[in-house]
Amino acid sequence: MRYLGFPLGIALFLLILYLPPGAGLSSAAQAGTACFALALVWWVTEPFPTYVTSLVLMFLLLVTRVATDKTIMYVLGMDVIWLNLLAFILSSMLVKVRLAKRMAFWLILKFGKKASWALLAFLLLHMILAPLIPATAARAVMTLPLIIVVAAIYGATEETNNNFGRNLLLLNLCCISVLSSMTMTGSAANLIAVGLIQTMADQRVYYMDWVKVGTPLAVVTMFIMWIVGQKLLFRIPKQQQTPQLEGGLEVVETQYRELGPLTRDEKKAIAIFSLVLTLWMTDIFHMRWFGVEISAPFAALLGAVIVLLPRYGVLQWSEAEIPWHLLIFSAGAYAGGLALDDTGAAAWGVKALFGSIDLKGVPFGVTYTVIIAVMMYSHLLTTSKTVRTIIMLPIIITLAKALGWNPLSLALPAALCIDWVVGLPISGKPNVILFSTNQYSVADNFKYGMVTCTVGVLLLVAFALTWFPWIGLTPDFWALAP
Amino acid sequence: MIRTFLFMVLWWINSAFGAVEINAYNTRLDIAPDGSATASVSLILAKGEPGRFRLPVGFAGLEAFAVQDVPSGVVLTPRPSLDQSSVEIDLPIDVSDDVVLAFTFKIPKLLFAPIPEEGQKSTLPDGSRLLRHNFVNTQAATIMKYQVQVRLPDETMVHMIREQLPKTKRKEFAPRVELDRFEGRQGALLQLANLKQGDRTSMELEVVGDRRSYGWLIAGLVLILGYLVSFRDLVNTDGR
Repeated sequence: MRYLGFPLGIALFLLILYLPPGAGLSSAAQAGTACFALALVWWVTEPFPTYVTSLVLMFLLLVTRVATDKTIMYVLGMDVIWLNLLAFILSSMLVKVRLAKRMAFWLILKFGKKASWALLAFLLLHMILAPLIPATAARAVMTLPLIIVVAAIYGATEETNNNFGRNLLLLNLCCISVLSSMTMTGSAANLIAVGLIQTMADQRVYYMDWVKVGTPLAVVTMFIMWIVGQKLLFRIPKQQQTPQLEGGLEVVETQYRELGPLTRDEKKAIAIFSLVLTLWMTDIFHMRWFGVEISAPFAALLGAVIVLLPRYGVLQWSEAEIPWHLLIFSAGAYAGGLALDDTGAAAWGVKALFGSIDLKGVPFGVTYTVIIAVMMYSHLLTTSKTVRTIIMLPIIITLAKALGWNPLSLALPAALCIDWVVGLPISGKPNVILFSTNQYSVADNFKYGMVTCTVGVLLLVAFALTWFPWIGLTPDFWALAP
Repeated sequence: MIRTFLFMVLWWINSAFGAVEINAYNTRLDIAPDGSATASVSLILAKGEPGRFRLPVGFAGLEAFAVQDVPSGVVLTPRPSLDQSSVEIDLPIDVSDDVVLAFTFKIPKLLFAPIPEEGQKSTLPDGSRLLRHNFVNTQAATIMKYQVQVRLPDETMVHMIREQLPKTKRKEFAPRVELDRFEGRQGALLQLANLKQGDRTSMELEVVGDRRSYGWLIAGLVLILGYLVSFRDLVNTDGR
């Protein structure tokens, strides 16, 4: 596949580039799609390292005149790249002072007698964190050091990947995004969707209305993925079921005891991390308290400043392990994603998906399933949840009205899919951050993400057959339009 | 005394016309391969009041001005200008409440290739041309719906929208400029609602031929062949 990936990518690029121009598609959008398709094939098949493909993509975007040099270079200064860099500084601090090791040992002694319980512990952790910290990138940064150490204890490192590592990283990735759909405050895009429903459909969605439908869906999906991931997608062999340290759990217990009481540096690290965490959790009060909002990257930046302070800090710059090659991968990937958004290619693709389907006269359940599926998988076309919400929700509400259905019955279930951006390493900020660990490939991410989305679609259909009509959200699944 | 009188007259004319509403202001631009265009304007006025006002057209030239449809008594006079031309509209005393007006005119070089000044670098490749449209609502009445539809010459398409102003607001769902195909021709639609006096809108499109150079195809095939030969060891199992 590696051998054929290169010609396949170029062939796809040429095919898209020379297609007859579609109505409403600009020449730059067509070229941008061709460049992105080439990069996608190369990222999955890896004829070159992923960061080289990203550099090729950036060059192609320039020479096909999809984006200007400034626009392409700008992505390396984007908030997600900064957050990634700062996350690795904070993570290096936790590793250096051995706090990450202490927390990981504790977690494993409590829950990690079996690999699956360690995975479950992370799922439960994210269920608690999701309603408290809406910023998904912040949640990824927070849990990253713990994930890396726990993965290492089970034998998964950057150099030697294993299925436990894949399960751990990808379960975390999906938990971070999917569990954001538990509440309407889980992401800014959810609130935009609620606003659109209110202005366009004239119906209010209250906090508990969302929780009633969003929480069961997100939680059940993640429990299913916890099982499916380790039993079907990336089966964890017996030898990876227990910690990969010589001597097993006894050694973990001995090493945990040997760590002794908290050191001064560990206490400093706790204080710094708590400060960053507090800033992340209280962002809605910042304007009132400080007269300015300290965004997630800047809270991490403040933490990094303290971490690196001479004499009072706990880390020197040379000790910070920053994976620059993966930041380059992320920058290239984001440049490609932004090109799709800015040239209108993403919007055109989404509209074309709906425009090609005739839903007149079909039962509600068919319309509902099509809309849910398009909404769920359309995240592969754009890197922005907000863009997707602004494009899709008005179309769905207008379509519902035209077909004679209550707009809420289609718009709210569709809005629940907004946060499920799990298919590719560039689909969301947490994906970029977790991919930087180099513990799984683009193909692994795609496989796990697509199965998660499919489970979500199937559950939404099952809910539309049972739970949703019962609470009055949707009509009978087989009902015909009034 | 005369000044005061003139001021009163102007104020009366302005306030008299202030009651008029422009419900729709649509312009269709049919562009010929040489870059010239025919603009067809249709205007729907509501609450028609007698008086005179100047309607800006958003283009410099007003050649071959021709009235297509006006109610009797309404007089349209072209007022060309080097930057923003306008049409003077006189509404008679017995004007009806709703008035529909239509006129056409020619714009000599709507699609053009900018020539860089001496010592300056060119910002566009050969074969690319620009279309610029700036509109400022200089008269008192609010324009409820303003639309400009661009129909490009055959075998051309928009490469990118370089400018579209003002930015779409939170409650607007349609993009400011939308690309589409109109009667088989590639084009664009600029739309804006509620343009009050002084409000402006603009778009800049870069237009290219709809056929790409074969350079990409040749380069791609050469790269594929080169790779398949140089990296054949990836699938070569001999000697393993």
